[in-house]
Amino acid sequence: MLYPKTTEEVREMILAARHSGGGLVPVSSGPPHFHGASVNPNAETLDLSRMDRVMAIDRRSRYVRVEAGVTFGDLLPQLAAHGLRLNLPFLPRPSKSAVASALEREAVLMPKYQYDYPDPLLTVETVFGTGDVFRTGSAAGPGTMEENTSDKVIPWGPGPFDYYRFLGAAQGTIGVVTWATLKAEVAPSASRLFFIGSASPDPLLDLAGKLLLDRVPDECVLLDRTAFSMAFAEPGQEDALRAALAPWTLLCRVCGYERYPEERVDIYGGYVADACAAFGLTAETEPPFPVDPAQIERMLTDCDRRDTYWKLRRGDERELLTLVPPSAAPAVLAEMSASQPDAGFIVSPQVQGRAFRIECGLYFEPDPRQAEKAEETLFSLAGRLVPLGAYFDRPYGRLPELLYSDPLARGAMKRLKSIFDPDNVLNPGKLCF
Amino acid sequence: MSLPKAVYEELEKVVGSRNISDKEYVLAGNRAQTPEIPVRHRSADAIVLPGSTEEVAEIVRICRRHGVRYVGTVSGGIPTAYATEENTILIHFKRMNRILEINEKDRYAVVEPGVRHVQLYPEVRKRGLSYTAAAVGPGGSVLVNIACTGGDHHNQYGSSRPTRYLLGVEMVTPEGEILRTGSLEAGAGWFCPESAGPSLRGIVKGYSGNAGHIGIVTKCAIALDRCKGPAATRTEGVSPHSRIYMDDECSRVYVFNYSSIQDVGRAMLALGESEVGATVQKYFYLPLSLMMTSSANEFWEKWDGFRKAFPMPLVVHLAPHSVREREYEEKILFDVVRETGGVRLPRELERWWEEHMDYFMIVSRLQSVLRLGGSWLPIKTGGESVRHLCDIGDSIREFIHDFTDTGKIFDAPQNYQIIPMEYGHFASFELLFMWDRTDPNSFRYMQEFCAASRETDLKHHAHSMTAGGYGRAGEALGRLYCDCHLWAGRIRHSFDPDFDPDA
Repeated sequence: MLYPKTTEEVREMILAARHSGGGLVPVSSGPPHFHGASVNPNAETLDLSRMDRVMAIDRRSRYVRVEAGVTFGDLLPQLAAHGLRLNLPFLPRPSKSAVASALEREAVLMPKYQYDYPDPLLTVETVFGTGDVFRTGSAAGPGTMEENTSDKVIPWGPGPFDYYRFLGAAQGTIGVVTWATLKAEVAPSASRLFFIGSASPDPLLDLAGKLLLDRVPDECVLLDRTAFSMAFAEPGQEDALRAALAPWTLLCRVCGYERYPEERVDIYGGYVADACAAFGLTAETEPPFPVDPAQIERMLTDCDRRDTYWKLRRGDERELLTLVPPSAAPAVLAEMSASQPDAGFIVSPQVQGRAFRIECGLYFEPDPRQAEKAEETLFSLAGRLVPLGAYFDRPYGRLPELLYSDPLARGAMKRLKSIFDPDNVLNPGKLCF
Repeated sequence: MSLPKAVYEELEKVVGSRNISDKEYVLAGNRAQTPEIPVRHRSADAIVLPGSTEEVAEIVRICRRHGVRYVGTVSGGIPTAYATEENTILIHFKRMNRILEINEKDRYAVVEPGVRHVQLYPEVRKRGLSYTAAAVGPGGSVLVNIACTGGDHHNQYGSSRPTRYLLGVEMVTPEGEILRTGSLEAGAGWFCPESAGPSLRGIVKGYSGNAGHIGIVTKCAIALDRCKGPAATRTEGVSPHSRIYMDDECSRVYVFNYSSIQDVGRAMLALGESEVGATVQKYFYLPLSLMMTSSANEFWEKWDGFRKAFPMPLVVHLAPHSVREREYEEKILFDVVRETGGVRLPRELERWWEEHMDYFMIVSRLQSVLRLGGSWLPIKTGGESVRHLCDIGDSIREFIHDFTDTGKIFDAPQNYQIIPMEYGHFASFELLFMWDRTDPNSFRYMQEFCAASRETDLKHHAHSMTAGGYGRAGEALGRLYCDCHLWAGRIRHSFDPDFDPDA
């Protein structure tokens, strides 16, 4: 294990690996690790947890710049103190690196703020596999990081290429990202959380699409009752909460900001109610759950700070992540839930409702045989989802076996790899490399 | 120099004899100089009109085999759409002009390069949808606009820059191979631009486009948004002497004048934080004045009054979902304007904006700007935070008066625009200047002005634009931008082995 503290140390370690012919795999989040991207028997681990500086929080231009080792648990309270918030994934663990979450294109909860799939990632500094330090977008220049007087927030470029896209979901195979600028949003001054239940996910998918087309909700996520109860129930209360839930619940939160916040909440709450009525659904603000709705709302805007991370309530978990367009979502979800009726499902509308990220989680007692069986089950399921329109853009574990069938696209990726990591130092053997 | 007969015949076999020509009168029509571009275009040796991606791929392979250069073109609105060297053919995409799909459920449209805004925009608008595209006019190519060039949209405050809306892409590489990116490469359709792993979307376009150097984009999908504003507009007259009627109670246009760009920036950020407005922009007052008048004489009559009335106009279009929300937005808007020192324009001036709302969609009056018979050039076409771009706006006065006060360029020192995007998370900038192209010294003045602008930005280490150029050719700026010219040269060379980054 290597523990760099500075970009220069990362650079030296990469150059040393190039010289020795060894491999390096960067990791920036603390345990538990779920996807295996940072597990590589052919590489030393480059642990970035000591790179934990919050470099800038800017309320006026609404961004935060953090080193790779800064976790949600540390960052969120600091942002709140500045009246800002992040576009978070659903109830992440506190040890999750904010930079890694954005780089991995984790599902975000507020799709109205997501204009493009890499959002909220803006600019990054990276050390390529060559050992060269590079900054993307407007952080590139002119001049050094200290000389450049811009806020370094424009993600595109420099020039005719989007370098930050080479690094996203690349599992550390192109460069080691040492810091990133992330888009932050104004923290609301008022809000109202709606619970919209349904026996089937299909009307809720359509409702989410309609609401997001009109840019109504801030947070918007669809859960089945297994995932809902695992996430929000008090210990020992999972079954009671599950029994009180509809099979599927859309959580939809409307917000007001600094000026006339209550008025906005009233207006936008009305839009939610109107849309629900049009779909034959009901939006409730105080459902008869054995959990306080206010607590659910607080949890939606934070990481999971309880002793046991919600996905590990039964001890262990394996998950399958896929991305689908709205037209394919019902069929993909139907196949997943028919195949795995005991799984937990999180369906996150993305990019203003133009796609859904679906997470299918299998929860079980810690047991290597169970884990192996779960992995095999999910891989087999993934194979059946491809013809239904599922796209595995974050291919962990064995999923690369289902991808890269287009030799030209695979060759193009390898050309990029050979430019930025010619000696295959970074996470060797991952993806199609 | 004409194309060798054998090469011509090979190309003719691919596209058919009706779709290739080397006749002088055909070539002349495709090198005609447009008034705003101060260079004469070299003639291509032939022009071919492919009808499919496969034909494009075959053309590229033939060219490569025989060492013939090629340039793809549609509307010819930019200098890179013309031959610049001998032994070059034009690949014109006028036959590839099909809207292949408009998917309302998944909110995207798939187009070929020859599809113009005037084709696509009405089709998506009548479905209640819209898209952002750089304001090039109805004749511009949708695909080129979004996949191949830079450019910003006047309406991007409540959405984003066109580059955010590029989804799956099909392109022909310089080696004549057909490359598909994003979900398309995995057979999952057009909806996602990102690859599974290092994304090939990154080679298609960065801040600027790559002008076909990495490949010719033959199909692309663009994401569609809800159309903000009235679903239908009643119109009267014929462009440019036309007006539209804002019959929708939810749609309102307000224009305010400011005396300080920093105050404009404060207003933009405050509105963005409240997510109020569909369009917010600090527009340039010279083109605006030209568009507001119907002849050069009328312009000269009114220009002095206009320049005093709105040297720094902040334009706001409200397009909420209900009258109640409009009233809520108006309350915030007027609070913000009062706090930041804006002054509302007289109603007769403001009304012009309302009556030309198509300006916010796709500019159809842009040609009016050339009425004075000069040339124009946009510079500082970069993006950054609203705060940084307002600082850049302030810095223009450090050099511009040397040119405006001496008549080297048109005397309009505040003629720049700042258009926020993503509700003020960042913005785009453009300093547009005009000059008299009949003046024999004008080309030199233009170059001097560009150099002064660049020197000022570098003095302040301001990010007023991105760095372009591949390999050694981009060294002057690239070395100030993390040596991006070297990386760009390597990427280009890896897809086009004939390109020499050290040349």
